[in-house]
Amino acid sequence: MDEDQSAEEVTDTKIIIAVESTIGNSSYQHSKINQWMSGIVESSLSQLTKLGKPFKYIVTCIILQKNGAGLHTASSCFWDNSTDGSCTVRWENKTIYCIVSVFGLAI
Amino acid sequence: MSDLAKEKAARLLKKRGSLSSLGSHEVRAKEAFAKTKDSISTVSYMEEPGHHDDIPRPAVQMENTYQLRPARRFPVLTVKDILKDVLTSYLQEEKYEPELCRQMTKTISEVVKARVKDLMIPRYKIIVIISIGQIRDQNMRMGSRCLWDETNDNFSSHTFKNSSLFATATVYGVYFE
Repeated sequence: MDEDQSAEEVTDTKIIIAVESTIGNSSYQHSKINQWMSGIVESSLSQLTKLGKPFKYIVTCIILQKNGAGLHTASSCFWDNSTDGSCTVRWENKTIYCIVSVFGLAI
Repeated sequence: MSDLAKEKAARLLKKRGSLSSLGSHEVRAKEAFAKTKDSISTVSYMEEPGHHDDIPRPAVQMENTYQLRPARRFPVLTVKDILKDVLTSYLQEEKYEPELCRQMTKTISEVVKARVKDLMIPRYKIIVIISIGQIRDQNMRMGSRCLWDETNDNFSSHTFKNSSLFATATVYGVYFE
């Protein structure tokens, strides 16, 4: 279990780094949103593959403009609790909310 | 004899997967041992790759099924119909309210998971993600990318909108080999 927790922390850090390097200090810009989305998802996925573990990964990213609107997200999973896991990272700056979820399923 | 030893060394290199110069030095040193203790050295090398694994193995050991492909693929259209059905029935008349929607996301995800499980697709792991948000003149973008087996794994998603809220439902089906 300790190994699982440290693996999640490592994943957390890696995703935060990926998000920061892509969006970093930018303000919300509609024209760039596609680029940002692909950038975040691809860099997260490549960081995960570098870990070299026998997992299938699903990376989901939601980018939201800060406008006072509300958003709720829930996920329900049917898998093997001992080998599979997920990790969600919430990141924000003055104009953007970004939620990245990673699901790892053992092969 | 040297040919046999070289063959063994080549097989070992393939098993270990390392092609660095360090690896080859190790192999040469071990070749000398191989000449004197043939059978023992090969058995020990075969077990070693297992010890190098850092991943904690699950407690249950499963037998080989010798099955290369899933018996039934993930039914994308059926699942999309389920999502359409559930989202419309639960959210048709609702207005966006924080508490209600918080409960609603959890309930809907459980309901969708139960209905997809009812389809009884063997050896598939299911992930259901539901997002409900308020419509307030803002922009939102959702994207996902997956690292999996293209032939066996799939996903299905549906979006529902009414005057005050929107809801997205995505179901990923991943084959367990």
